Amino acid sequence: MGWRFDAPLVSLTDDAQNKAAKELWARESLGGIKEDNNRLPRPVIWLLALTILTAFLITAPLWGQRPQAAIYQEYVALMDDPQVQSIADPNGKVEYIVNAVKSKGSKYEALQERHPVEWDDLMLIKDQVIELERKGVDLEEYTIIGPWVTLANFEGEKKPDGSTIRKQPHWDKGYTIDVFYVIYFCVAVVIAVKRLPEFSWVPTHAGH
Amino acid sequence: MLKYLFAKNEDIPPGTTAIFFGFSSIIWFVIGTGIGSFNAAKLAFPDFVTGYEYFAFGKMRQVHVLAVILGWISMAFAMAMTYITPALGNTRLWSEKLGVWNVLIWNVGLSLALTLLWMGISSGREYSDIIWPIDLAIIFGVLFPLGANVWMTIVTRRTQGIYTTNWFFGTGIFMVIIVFLVGNSPEFFNLTGLSEAYMTWWFAHNVLGLWITPVAAAIAYYTVPKVTGNPLYSHRIGHLHFWSVVIFYSTPAAHHLMSAPLPEWLKSFASVEGVLILVPAIAFVSNLLLTMTGKWHMFVENVEIKFTITGVLLAIPLNMQGGFQQTRAINWYIHGTGWIVAHAHLALLGFSTFLEGAAVYYGIQTLLRRKLYSLTLANFHFWFLLIGFCTYWISMTIAGLIQGAGKIYEVPYIDVVIAEHPYMIARWVGGTMVFTGNVVWLYNMWMTARVGTEIPVGRLPHELAYER
Amino acid sequence: MAFREYKIGARMFGAALGGSMMITLYFPTSDIVLVGSTEWGLQKALSYGRIGGFSYEDPLMRGEGKPVTVTLDKDPATNQPIDPIHAYVYPPGVPFPSAINHPRTAGKVVAELSTTKGRINEADHQKGAVFVVAHAEAGGEVTAYIENASVTRNWNPQQVLDAAGDENSAYVGSGKIMFVREGCWWCHTLLPEQTQDWQVFGVPPRLGDFNSESPTAFGSDRKAPDLLHVGSRNSSKEWMMMHFFNPRLVQPHSIMPRFDYLWGKNDANGKPIDFDQWRAEYTKYAAGERVYPPEVPDYAPKSDIRYLMDFVLSLK
Repeated sequence: MGWRFDAPLVSLTDDAQNKAAKELWARESLGGIKEDNNRLPRPVIWLLALTILTAFLITAPLWGQRPQAAIYQEYVALMDDPQVQSIADPNGKVEYIVNAVKSKGSKYEALQERHPVEWDDLMLIKDQVIELERKGVDLEEYTIIGPWVTLANFEGEKKPDGSTIRKQPHWDKGYTIDVFYVIYFCVAVVIAVKRLPEFSWVPTHAGH
Repeated sequence: MLKYLFAKNEDIPPGTTAIFFGFSSIIWFVIGTGIGSFNAAKLAFPDFVTGYEYFAFGKMRQVHVLAVILGWISMAFAMAMTYITPALGNTRLWSEKLGVWNVLIWNVGLSLALTLLWMGISSGREYSDIIWPIDLAIIFGVLFPLGANVWMTIVTRRTQGIYTTNWFFGTGIFMVIIVFLVGNSPEFFNLTGLSEAYMTWWFAHNVLGLWITPVAAAIAYYTVPKVTGNPLYSHRIGHLHFWSVVIFYSTPAAHHLMSAPLPEWLKSFASVEGVLILVPAIAFVSNLLLTMTGKWHMFVENVEIKFTITGVLLAIPLNMQGGFQQTRAINWYIHGTGWIVAHAHLALLGFSTFLEGAAVYYGIQTLLRRKLYSLTLANFHFWFLLIGFCTYWISMTIAGLIQGAGKIYEVPYIDVVIAEHPYMIARWVGGTMVFTGNVVWLYNMWMTARVGTEIPVGRLPHELAYER
Repeated sequence: MAFREYKIGARMFGAALGGSMMITLYFPTSDIVLVGSTEWGLQKALSYGRIGGFSYEDPLMRGEGKPVTVTLDKDPATNQPIDPIHAYVYPPGVPFPSAINHPRTAGKVVAELSTTKGRINEADHQKGAVFVVAHAEAGGEVTAYIENASVTRNWNPQQVLDAAGDENSAYVGSGKIMFVREGCWWCHTLLPEQTQDWQVFGVPPRLGDFNSESPTAFGSDRKAPDLLHVGSRNSSKEWMMMHFFNPRLVQPHSIMPRFDYLWGKNDANGKPIDFDQWRAEYTKYAAGERVYPPEVPDYAPKSDIRYLMDFVLSLK
């Protein structure tokens, strides 16, 4: 069997089938995604929509964060409080601080509950946190590693001054590209399916 | 085989290439799973075969991986391509002679590549560990000739349209060539740093996403309609599958490096795309399962359908894991643990092996015009693969969760090793079952070629009753 | 291919794959190359040499064609005492890492300092060179850069090696080859994770810690402790030696293979090592028939195990 460029292609479909398929093709809207000729089954479309929605919702950094220095900022501020100083038992001191912060209401309540500390831990990070506060940096970019308060190694987007945001993002250009990409895909598939050649048969085994 | 290497193309019987590819792939599967089982034994019992440099775990691990990927899976793909593409085009393979040479060079080249890897001569990059001179040889000596045969067979077809399977075959081989060329560029051009690390995983991700997954799916698009006699449920869902593979499966490479200091935007992008690999998965699974309408009894009665549909069903957990385990919310727990090892085996040993197994079973019967030698042995093979795989998968998933917990709660590492020990033994048992099943398979296919009942002209293998 | 639709399809396919490669390859790598190398990144680049896997200078992966990392406490040219410093010695013919060959891979600021102040563009690998990591202020921050000590301090490679002596030389680059060749990275990752395991395995690396390193060999399947900072957790040569020879000597539950074959044929005194006898004695010890395990032989000064230990201990 040689290589023949000029060989006519032979169709296995007869004229009547072609005509029927052509008519069906001419009638359908939205590239047949809504139409028959075995339209995409509705559950499949729902599943696709659900998948796209879930993809964006679940990708945000929900769990697994190392304790950020920021969540202990309020604890550290209370450490020199006379009330706390007057308590002798270290566990009592922490309990007092935790309750005080909780009753005031904190932005980091959930994280504080997830990462409980002891008095000794607080003593280790106290000076470092105060030093960082004095510098005026964003404490959410710092994580606690054992006794150290260290700049996290997340490579976020650039700040206006050229330095890098050291936090996991809830939205950044990656997500923006994703939005564009999903739209691009949907449009491309609708066009592709609409441009299907008008040869086909209508399978009947599924009852429609 | 040798007599065909220098024969005229017209004198080589149609299907020769595919038959050689088929038997080579089974042999590589036996070798690959044999090494896998040996490696697993070493993880369970570290002093099992000790003191020999060439039987150290670190020297054999990559040989197992690449023997299975480039020997078993890719050769089974080549087998499927060289007989399904002509069959769907109502024509002969473009060049059987090129095909026979392709089989020879592939086998010799892979043996050489794996020998070097076994000696430790490697690029140090996972999945692309083969050194760059051999990468070039694979691209131009192995993949490109196969591609030429597939593309030219599609071009010279004698039917009007191109069927879904052939879209995937034609683009799959094109994309894997691109992936090899681009993914190995850090070795060609000595790229360094995180670019190198990222390209390593770009290669690893895309070799799975643009070669193994779509081509395995393409095989199912052929075997299910062919054997059941039902037309494919929907051409349009086929399109949805095809385009979503190209668009979504080619992008999430960075989700393999969620804990490396890559730019965060890249991780955000990749993990949304990573969830969207469920789009091709939904399209593929729904299309195939709906094609089965009215023929579900064949899932029990027919070997090829049993293998194919098992593979299709395993695509569901595969993609549910694959889609979600890479998100920031989940990845921190299971990254780098046995969970991932279990997932990788679900992809290659669960999902894709069952689909390729069906293609090799069906192809060898069709091409040799002989009915399968023994249904009993085929069932034995099926169940040993499935039970062995499940043992492996479940034990490694549990081990992975233990490792994850150990990581989060900062347990001394040795305690994790101790806790994992029973699961390492289970992994070895599972792997050994797979190996045993494959040895039986090789025997069954050999006997099919030798003494299988001849299939009369005009009949298809699945139309004949099983005899043993 | 008579159908117009197939032509459209082929073009759509090209656009789709091209678009995907644009986003996944061009965008991220153009971000990554802008990052300046950290001091640690420079140290790694200089100590590993051109490539850490298969290369034409070392096709059989024996650790050839790699630099030597030495520690100096006096200036080899003038013999004056100096603060202890690491120098990276490239004997004649040893190829340079890409941080020297293509300075921009270390980032813009580092590249500029390294060429203007460090004069790395005057280095020639045919003649050999000695590099050190120096510091300078640029844009209000202290930045590490590479200094070509062969030019700035007049150090020549042989002189530096002689001045340091064997005990202050580490074959870190050759050791990385051993690490890759022996497949250590199949179980030991080189990447403490961002989220959780910092306390045990140390600080996770930054983007700039890897410039000029190839392969990075992060590993993906952690069956054993992370090693990126192992040298600061455990720097005992004796422990490492026993652990490499037979891990069960120091950790009965370890599943690591024995790497006794890396000792080669002879020990430090040139005496042949009797592995069979050692293994037989160890088997007795493991069975409780001996009180003490057999003695682990000292390794020869240029053996595979020396290289590997030098590499592992350099991971601070």
